[in-house]
Amino acid sequence: MTLRRRILAALARRPALGTATLLAPGGLWLVLFFVVPMLLMLGASVMQRGTYGGVEPGFTLEHYRRFLDPLYLQVLWRTIVWAALATVACLLLGFPVAWVIAASRRHRSLLLFLVVLPFWTSFLVRTFAMIFLLRDTGVINSALLALGVIREPIALLYTPFAVLSGLVYGFLPFMVLPIYASLEKLDPALLEAAEVLGARPLERLARVAIPLARPGIIAGSLLVFVPAMGSFLTSDLLGGAKQVMIGNLVQNQFTTARNWPFGAAASFGVMAVVLVAVMVSLRLRDRDPGRVR
Amino acid sequence: MLPYAPARRYLRLNSVPLAQFLRVSKSFGAIRAVDAVSFDIARGEFLSLLGPSGCGKTTTLRLLAGFEEPDDDGGDIRIGGISAIGKRPYDRNLGMVFQSYALFPHLSVERNVAFGLERRRVRGAELTRRVADALLAVQLDPKEFAGRRPAELSGGQRQRVALARALVLEPEMLLLDEPLGAIDEKLRRDMQLELRQLNRKLGITFVHVTHDQDEALTMSDRIAVMHRGRIVQLGTPAEIYEHPRTRFVATFIGESNLFDGEGGARVAVRPERMALAGPGEPLPDGYRSLPGTIDDVIYQGEMLRVLVRLEGNRQCVVALRNDGQLARPLPWAPGSAVLVGWKPEDARPLEEE
Repeated sequence: MTLRRRILAALARRPALGTATLLAPGGLWLVLFFVVPMLLMLGASVMQRGTYGGVEPGFTLEHYRRFLDPLYLQVLWRTIVWAALATVACLLLGFPVAWVIAASRRHRSLLLFLVVLPFWTSFLVRTFAMIFLLRDTGVINSALLALGVIREPIALLYTPFAVLSGLVYGFLPFMVLPIYASLEKLDPALLEAAEVLGARPLERLARVAIPLARPGIIAGSLLVFVPAMGSFLTSDLLGGAKQVMIGNLVQNQFTTARNWPFGAAASFGVMAVVLVAVMVSLRLRDRDPGRVR
Repeated sequence: MLPYAPARRYLRLNSVPLAQFLRVSKSFGAIRAVDAVSFDIARGEFLSLLGPSGCGKTTTLRLLAGFEEPDDDGGDIRIGGISAIGKRPYDRNLGMVFQSYALFPHLSVERNVAFGLERRRVRGAELTRRVADALLAVQLDPKEFAGRRPAELSGGQRQRVALARALVLEPEMLLLDEPLGAIDEKLRRDMQLELRQLNRKLGITFVHVTHDQDEALTMSDRIAVMHRGRIVQLGTPAEIYEHPRTRFVATFIGESNLFDGEGGARVAVRPERMALAGPGEPLPDGYRSLPGTIDDVIYQGEMLRVLVRLEGNRQCVVALRNDGQLARPLPWAPGSAVLVGWKPEDARPLEEE
C-alpha cells in the first residue's frame, strides 16, 4: 500500500482524525496570532506601567479602576452610542438596498458588485476623501453656496455627524450582504400568500419579510456594531480632538501616552461591551426555534 | 349516464357565473403567456385549468388572483359581475393554496391559520374558535397540531394547513396552484377525493391548476384544456375525454390512436375502444380495420396494452381488459400478423389546430 492510500484509509476509519486535520492549520494560526496576544494583553493590563512604554512586573487592578473614571466611561458611552447609531443607520439604509438586490433578477450580480466596490480602495483613502467632501471648502459646502442655499459654509467636518457618516459609509456593505443573503432565500410565494390573506405592504414587511430576514439582520448588525466599537481611524480623521472614541484612547495609550497597561485595560473594557452585544444578539436569534435556515 | 352527472351539476350551477374572463391577454416581454382567453367560472363548480408547462394555466390563475394584471387592452376579468382590474388580491374575496404551500415558516400552525383573520381584526375567543374549526375541517386535531411549526409537519399535513389557512376566511373562490404536486402518489389519490368533497360540502368555487390529466379528470366538474396561451377545449371530464376537439386534446388527455378518416379528416380512437383479431380471425361486422404486426404486449394488471405496427411503420395501441387471456393459448403473440379495428362511431373527427 502506498503512503497516500494508507493515510486515506486511516482517515476513512476515523472521521474525527479527518476533522482534526482540517481544523489544525487555522486553529494553530488563531492560537498563535489571536489567543497568545490576547493573553499577553490580559497580562499587561494587570502589570505596572514601564517608564518608556512596555510593562514592568507586578500585579495591580489600578488600570481597570482608572478606566471606571467618569472621564473614560463618558468616552466608552459615546462610543457605544455612535456604534449603535451607525448600526441603526446602516440597517435603515441597507435593508432596502438588500431588498432591491434580492428582488432583481437581471441586475443582481452588477448590484452586488457595486456594493463591494468600495473595498477596492483602502479605508484610509476613502476616509480622506470624505474630508474633501465635508470640509468648509469641500464639495458639499461649495455646491450649497453656489446654489445659494446657504451664505456661510456649515460646519460638517469634525462633528459627530461627520464621524457617524464615516462609520455608516465604511460599514454599510457588512449590513447589506448578510441581509441580502437572508432575503434571497425568502420564497416570493410567502409574500403573495400574505397578500391574499389581507396583509398590506407594511404588514408583509413586518410580519413576513423582517422576521424571516432576522438572521441576516442580526448578523449584519453585529458586523457593523463590533468593528464600529473598535474604530479609531474614522473618529481620528473626521471627528477631530473633541470626538474621541474608545479606539482613539487605546491607540493613544500605546503610542504617545506610553501607558500600555491602561491601554490594555481599556481594550478589555471595549471587549466586555462587545461580548454583551454578541450574547444579546445570539439570544435574539435563538429566541425563536422556528427560524428558517 | 353516471359519467355525465357532473355535466348536469354544472348546468344547474351555471345560471350566474361567479367570474368571467373576457378576451384576457397577458404578455411577458415578447411572450404572450395568455392569449385572448374567454371563459366563465360557475358558482360552486370545481374547474381545472389543465395543460403542459408553459401553456399559460398558472398565469391565468395568477390573473384571477390579482398577482398579475392583463395587458393594457388585454380584456377584462369580472368577479361577481364587477371588473376586477386593478383590485388587489385581498379585495377579491378569494383564498389560495400555493404549489409550495407557502406556509409561514416562522409561525406555528395556529398562527398561520390565524394570519388572515388577524389582518381582518378578528380577535380573542372568536379567533381561537374559527382557527380550531378550520383545522378540524381539514382533519387536523387542533390540540395536536396548533403549536407545531410547518417544518415539523409532513407534506400532507402542510397541505391541510395551507387549505385551512385559505378556507378560514370563507372566501367565495379557492385557487389551487398544483396543490398536490409535492406529495406522494397514495396520499395524492386521497387528497384528490378530499378536495372534491370539500368543494361539494362548502359550496366554495374551486379553480385548480394542474398538468396531471388523471387528477383533472378525477376532481373536476369541468376542465379547461390550455395550450400555447389559449383554451383549446372546455367541458366536463367526460366531454373532454369522449369528444376531444383537437389532436392536442386527444393525445394530452388520455391516449389516442390517430387515423386518416373519410374525406381526409383525422380521427382519434381511444385504445380501449379498439379491437384486435388474431391471424385468420374476423373483426365484428361494421368495424373499420387495418392489418398490422404485434410489436409487444405489455402487462399492466387490469389492462393489457398491445402495441401493433401498422403499414407505413406507424404504431397503434390496443388496450384490452385483462380477462385472463394470457393464461390461455392466444392466437397472437409478438410477431403475429393481426387486424386492428374500431367501430366507426368510436372514431372522433379532429379539428385542425
